[in-house]
Amino acid sequence: MVHLRLVETSMEFKPDQAAQKQDFRLILVDLAKSRDKQLFMQLYDYFAPRLKSFLVRKGANEELAEELVQETLLSVWRKTASYDPAKATASTWIFRIARNLWIDRLRKEKPDMLSPLNSYPEAGYTPSMAACDSGRLKDALGALPQQQAQLVYKVYYEGKSHREIAEDMDMPIGSVKSGLRLAFDKLRVRIGGES
Amino acid sequence: MNCNHHPDDSTLLSYGACSLPDALSMVVACHLAVCDHCHDKVADAEQIGFGLMEQEPVKSISKRSRDSMLAMLDEPVAEVCSETPIISDDLSDGDIPAPLRPMIGQWFSDLHWRTMAPGMKQFILPASQGKLRLLKIAPGTFMPSHGHSGSELTLVLKGSYSDELGRFSLGDVADVDPDMSHQPVADTHEGCICLIATDGPLRFKGLVPRLLQPFFQL
Repeated sequence: MVHLRLVETSMEFKPDQAAQKQDFRLILVDLAKSRDKQLFMQLYDYFAPRLKSFLVRKGANEELAEELVQETLLSVWRKTASYDPAKATASTWIFRIARNLWIDRLRKEKPDMLSPLNSYPEAGYTPSMAACDSGRLKDALGALPQQQAQLVYKVYYEGKSHREIAEDMDMPIGSVKSGLRLAFDKLRVRIGGES
Repeated sequence: MNCNHHPDDSTLLSYGACSLPDALSMVVACHLAVCDHCHDKVADAEQIGFGLMEQEPVKSISKRSRDSMLAMLDEPVAEVCSETPIISDDLSDGDIPAPLRPMIGQWFSDLHWRTMAPGMKQFILPASQGKLRLLKIAPGTFMPSHGHSGSELTLVLKGSYSDELGRFSLGDVADVDPDMSHQPVADTHEGCICLIATDGPLRFKGLVPRLLQPFFQL
């Protein structure tokens, strides 16, 4: 894990955030071996309220959201051995499990919506951004020109398609796409990925 | 696989954000199954999204849930692996891309293709947002020239085709700008099978294709 520590400490985090980020990655790695329940509950206390908020945003009601949070974190507890810190940050790994469970749930309730649901593989993609500090990300979003920030907001927070955004903002789809392209480039660069 | 044409970055961003209509998502998923280059971008898009969500105001969790979590940690792991059925994605087991297999099986030749026009057959797939279809074009056949009122993604699954934008072979995606009108033609002896997703009706040019539109169900 020596190499991992080097990577993490080379990022310019504020001290408290750095500690937090490092902890979650290493906690997951540690948990695979130690099976330490109290350590796991630290992770639970940080992620459960955030996952609940995420799922409610996706359209789950409070009760279902809480149920899926439980399922997600139980799955985290059971799958820690398959977590690879080189491939995903702790939050990416955990949020992805929550998202897939949510998609799974939709599939059971709406069988006619088959196609979206098969389309998100659980595959461990490797992000080019080393460890994405969400504070830095918010700053990067704030530094975008207003229209681009608005486009990104509509994609991530409102879940809108390019066509819906074009209608909302009364602009051609081609401009929606080019605005998003530029914004994506800048966010990746500011956060440490390649463009 | 080395693909020459990829989905636009804006499409990958929306895919990673889970905001792409499901018909379009399926095309991207099938492309990702063969393209590492786009994996990385999707991973970044996902990470941006999860990073933003992590910063959102939190929702409190009941103490009951917390206690029951702690209790569940001791439960033996019995039937955890039933989340997704295991479906072979081995190319020797079929020519249909893995993400589509749960819906339609392994082989294109087993599908009930419907003839739309001479040299052109289609197979419609379920989608809740947008339209998703497989299109089989005989060698040398031209698609009617068309533009779009929304997004269109086309992925080549067999053979190749050419249009005003270039030549598209196995694994390539055409992420067509809606303002662009194009007329694809299957350009090899084996013909061409494509997966096509649209988000908004196509606009055909010329009277005859327009009259055909209802039959194409486009």
